[in-house]
Amino acid sequence: MSNDRAMSSDDNPAATPTPCQDIQGDGRWMCMHNRFVSDSKGKEPDVLFVGDSLVQLLHEFEIWRKLFSPLHALNFGIGGDATQHVLWRLGNGELDHISPKVVVLWVGTNNHGNSPHQICDGIMEIVKLINQKLPHAHTLVLGLLPRGKNPNPLRERNAEVNELVQAEVAALPHASFLNVDPGFVHSDGTIWHQDLYDYLHLTPPAYQKVCEPLHDRIKALLDQPAENQVS
Amino acid sequence: MGRNQPQRSGPTSQWIYCLLAISRRSPSFDSRITKEENPSVRNSNIRSTTTPASSIRLTLVHCAVYVTESSLPSSRMSGEEQNPAAVPVPVQDVQGDGRWMSQHNRFVMECKDAEPDVLFIGDSMVQLMQQYEVWRELFSPLHALNFGIGGDTTCNVLWRLQNGELDNIRPRVSVVWVGTNNHEHNAEQVAGGILTITQYLRSCLPRSKVVVLGLLPRGEQPNPLREKNAMVNRLLRSTLDRVGPVQFLDMSDAFVHSDGAITARDMFDYLHLTASGYSTIATPLHELLMQLLEETPQERRASLV
Repeated sequence: MSNDRAMSSDDNPAATPTPCQDIQGDGRWMCMHNRFVSDSKGKEPDVLFVGDSLVQLLHEFEIWRKLFSPLHALNFGIGGDATQHVLWRLGNGELDHISPKVVVLWVGTNNHGNSPHQICDGIMEIVKLINQKLPHAHTLVLGLLPRGKNPNPLRERNAEVNELVQAEVAALPHASFLNVDPGFVHSDGTIWHQDLYDYLHLTPPAYQKVCEPLHDRIKALLDQPAENQVS
Repeated sequence: MGRNQPQRSGPTSQWIYCLLAISRRSPSFDSRITKEENPSVRNSNIRSTTTPASSIRLTLVHCAVYVTESSLPSSRMSGEEQNPAAVPVPVQDVQGDGRWMSQHNRFVMECKDAEPDVLFIGDSMVQLMQQYEVWRELFSPLHALNFGIGGDTTCNVLWRLQNGELDNIRPRVSVVWVGTNNHEHNAEQVAGGILTITQYLRSCLPRSKVVVLGLLPRGEQPNPLREKNAMVNRLLRSTLDRVGPVQFLDMSDAFVHSDGAITARDMFDYLHLTASGYSTIATPLHELLMQLLEETPQERRASLV
């Protein structure tokens, strides 16, 4: 329970662990979760990426192989996931058999209907859970990207989430915040489809721009002498 | 990611509505719709248009074609009902960033300058392909346009085609890949929706060919959606050739292993294809397109108007 925050996780759907219901009929979400749990039994990643489709899709492009495979990274992204889904997954097996040194967390843009404070609290619940399960890991929280072709309420929402999260994370020794937006919004307020092909998801060239600084930051964290680290 | 589902229509007759473009031009007869004609004509189901100082008259006839039991793969109802999967419906902006309409508008703008030989239209299966190397290697060289939008149903694709995404372009082949997101419709309705899209393309682009891609299996293990998609494919296989020169390409068998499982190596989320999964599809599709794009000398002369 987060007693130091105004909102308890019981009142906040974004901070309440919730699995995804299989509405469509092919059980894909649970299959992916089960695969991640079983992956975690056989592998020893140094880096774990967890989040939504922005994490998941990263695994499918060449840049993953070039930048993150060499770091022994695992990818536990699921498209459509909001904070409450990631919270459930991490609390139900996906962290049980691994001890990565760095966890990259990128989630929040799918929390439709939640306020920036709720989304921030959802993200902070995840950070807290990771710290409980992996006391020696550093959690790197990535800022939410802008979305939509033109200025719109979701851009404002995401920007506010980022501000709130950045402030909360600053107080924690085991976590940090990284803004990975290389400047996708142009001076006229538009986002280009060459970067976000549907004004939400990244093209391979845009992933390159996002991932280079991310890679550098992860490497720096991996190179730090960790306390009590089991190799 | 919430999406409004298409509205169900009220009871109407069991018809498939076809647009028949009849163009008469003197002196040489040419049934194609040329750039000089009013592009907005395509947007209307019922409209007669005469371009003012031109010898070209284009009449669009909203024609109800009564489909008999033997030819329509739909559920037999004694009442009269229009297929909800064949009703054009735009996507409502529920999330708040208007992305669907932005993508549609971008495609309409692309039509103004582009001269594609191949048009891909459909859902995320189409859209995502453009992000992989395979698109640059195999389909860009064919001068292909990609009008895929993730999440789209047959209703959404039909709406887009009728609202500008065919304006001013004359691709020689259209590739249609849509239907797996039609969660509110049964297999017969989905097949009927795909049929309607194909008929619409044939009516707007009478000299072009259509390739319909079969719906791929989905889910890690056998499940009702696999059965539904397979049923759609069976229905399409038996009815598409009545629309005209339409090819049906179904790669479903390539993805299901002997134990019934689909692997993440082919579909990273048991729905969307990996680079390797796309390569499996792209090779035969590319070969088919190359064949279709080959012309006889007679066809080529006639196309140079």
